[in-house]
Amino acid sequence: MASVAAWLPFARASAIGWVPVASNPLPPPMVRQEDRRGDEKVTINVSGRVFEVWRTTLEKYPDTLLGSNEKDFFYDEECKDYFFDRDPELFRHILNYYRTGKLHYPKHECLAAYDEELSFFGILPDLIGDCCYEDYRDRKRENQERLIDDKNSENGHLEPVANLRERMWRWFENPHIGTAALVFYYVTGFFIAVSVMANVIETIPCGVIPGTHENPACGERYELAFFCLDTACVMIFTAEYLLRLYAAPDRCKFMRSVMSVIDVVAILPYYIGLVMTENDDVSGAFVTLRVFRVFRIFKFSRHSQGLRILGYTLKSCASELGFLLFSLTMAIIIFATVMFYAERNVDDTKFISIPEAFWYTIVTMTTLGYGDMVPKTIPGKIVGGLCSLSGVLVIALPVPVIVSNFSRIYHQNQRADKRKAQKKARIARIRMAKNASGAAFISSKKRAEEAIRARESGLEVEDLKNQDTLEMQHHHLLSCLEKTTRRNTDSDQDELNDIQIRLPTINRSSRSNLNAVSGGATTPNSKSNNLTVTTAIVTLPTPSTTPETESLLAQTDQAPPPYPQTSTTQSHQSSQNPGDVVKISSL
Amino acid sequence: MGAIYDKVLDMDHDLEDLEMQVVRYKPEGLDVLCRKSKFTRKELQIMYRGFKQECPTGIVNEETFKEIYAQFFPQGDSSAYAHYVFNTFDHDRNGSLSFEEFVMGLSVLSRGTLQERLQWAFNLYDINGDGFITKDEMTDIVSAIYEMMGRFSEPMIDENTAKEHVDRVFLKMDINRDGVITFDEFMETCRRDENITKGMAIFDTVL
Repeated sequence: MASVAAWLPFARASAIGWVPVASNPLPPPMVRQEDRRGDEKVTINVSGRVFEVWRTTLEKYPDTLLGSNEKDFFYDEECKDYFFDRDPELFRHILNYYRTGKLHYPKHECLAAYDEELSFFGILPDLIGDCCYEDYRDRKRENQERLIDDKNSENGHLEPVANLRERMWRWFENPHIGTAALVFYYVTGFFIAVSVMANVIETIPCGVIPGTHENPACGERYELAFFCLDTACVMIFTAEYLLRLYAAPDRCKFMRSVMSVIDVVAILPYYIGLVMTENDDVSGAFVTLRVFRVFRIFKFSRHSQGLRILGYTLKSCASELGFLLFSLTMAIIIFATVMFYAERNVDDTKFISIPEAFWYTIVTMTTLGYGDMVPKTIPGKIVGGLCSLSGVLVIALPVPVIVSNFSRIYHQNQRADKRKAQKKARIARIRMAKNASGAAFISSKKRAEEAIRARESGLEVEDLKNQDTLEMQHHHLLSCLEKTTRRNTDSDQDELNDIQIRLPTINRSSRSNLNAVSGGATTPNSKSNNLTVTTAIVTLPTPSTTPETESLLAQTDQAPPPYPQTSTTQSHQSSQNPGDVVKISSL
Repeated sequence: MGAIYDKVLDMDHDLEDLEMQVVRYKPEGLDVLCRKSKFTRKELQIMYRGFKQECPTGIVNEETFKEIYAQFFPQGDSSAYAHYVFNTFDHDRNGSLSFEEFVMGLSVLSRGTLQERLQWAFNLYDINGDGFITKDEMTDIVSAIYEMMGRFSEPMIDENTAKEHVDRVFLKMDINRDGVITFDEFMETCRRDENITKGMAIFDTVL
């Protein structure tokens, strides 16, 4: 609407056409009070780059920052312009929105940065024009997926639970955590393999029994041995299943999950067999039940990520697979019918019914061509040729979709694994940096204390200028806190560094979602007072930093010092020399 | 099969024509326009800036005009009325509105005399431009106005509303009962009706 404001006079003028046919007298117009300063230009200075717009252009969107009086907060009296300390490249797009009414998304910019700019200037991302909206949404979805992936993989490093049950569950889900879990993982894998191989081998003919001409299968010959092996495997599987069932946080959900169903199906035939060995009628059915033992091989999917990806791909391509199946069925029925009627009058024909012709059609369409059924009449041969040509097409169509899905999911997984590895390296580096900064903090704190003592005793304090105002105020604040609570920072350097890394177990305040534990939790302090004051350095750009004084607060019930939001400080100080003492900006 | 190929070839030609056809229209100078219309320089500047912002090529075609109009009347269908207004503004009937035509039209409507405005309204109603307003023409215009209101009005609009309205107005305006309204009859009726003369002045404060 705003972009056609210039045409409103026109629309109003053309309304004169209504006047002669108006049934009632028209209302008089409203008189404007203030005179529009239509010709005033506004200067906006964004980090040095100067933009100029008409004031009316900006006022087109009064609910944004630039269109409302919110921009008065940024007015610079001396230069008579509005100064914003933001990215001028991105500001260009924001301003174009006012000019043209369409918001575009630049493809080469980072989505998060762009989002931030939009929210700063009060523009909703939904206003992005159609030309760029799809792109924006795609990238936003990618980013969110990546963040969710990160969060999921981070959850692996959650606080350890004392509960045995939850610990066991975590072992089952992530075998790389502890050695016990790893052992369990490999043992079950080994037994799955043994069981599957036993199933296979027991059908091989073992050799002629001496004295007879029989050549029975191994399973029959060494029946007892195989039975014992089977029993052992089933014991292990049953134990595993029961343990998982016990450890599962949500038993119903666990029992409904695919893996547990596979587990049950793998061990059930054995038990059913135990129950019904005596009954001859049902033993035929029991033999078929043994077929289900082969499902044990699916238990490997817990051990192999590739299998899981394949299963997930098939699940996500269900519609393509369904289409493939449906079109194949249609084609099979058509061709089989035609073949049947073409070939039914030949002597000795194999096409004795349409279902028989199904087999021929399937074999031909998948280009197998066993040759057990061949057409002999000419129309039959023509139809057979058409059948094989169309088979190639129909099968080739949905396959690329499935392949591309698989490729996408596989690459996502690769990326997730790569990110995990990178994250480990990053965390190690950050740990080192934190150590360094912790040491620096201690030394600067000592200097500050000396300065304070010197000032108290009236001595001249030198080179105060070397110290940063911010730092000094920060240290002063901490020392005030110490005085108030009559506690002292533990100035033992090593322990303090240790404390930095390991989060005290008391840190369970509600803001703990800001802190990710960067390691295990221990009780660090060897002193008798159970307060562990840890350092206050926070500004490192990872989520795994900790505003340690929160631990203090949990204990002292003080009103919390106006601690800066760690997240914002992190984002503003992305390039830190790890050797420096990092600053906290809003103190 | 042949028809399909022809269509494809035609489309190619159309695309080429389209590319050739990007017209850029430059209006007459500011001074000339200032003299011809009753606006000041400043007003013309502001008007042109808004005009060019919405139509960078310098001319408005009927589609764009209808879209712009539709934004002011979202609740109904304003395309019919917009069509008639467009034709009234478009003096040379070339299907596009230049800035001069825009300005001249606005000048008449907002700064013109009562006579000029009534002439404009007459031209609006006289769709075929023959100098007479027939009942059908008036019905078309009045239906178009009602369409702009939209469906959700109180009381409901149906087919008879427009007809009754036209009957009433025609009764008032057709003095010699010959079935058509001439410009003199129109002027007479409107001059005598105080509501109409007052109404013509309402839309004065345009800019």
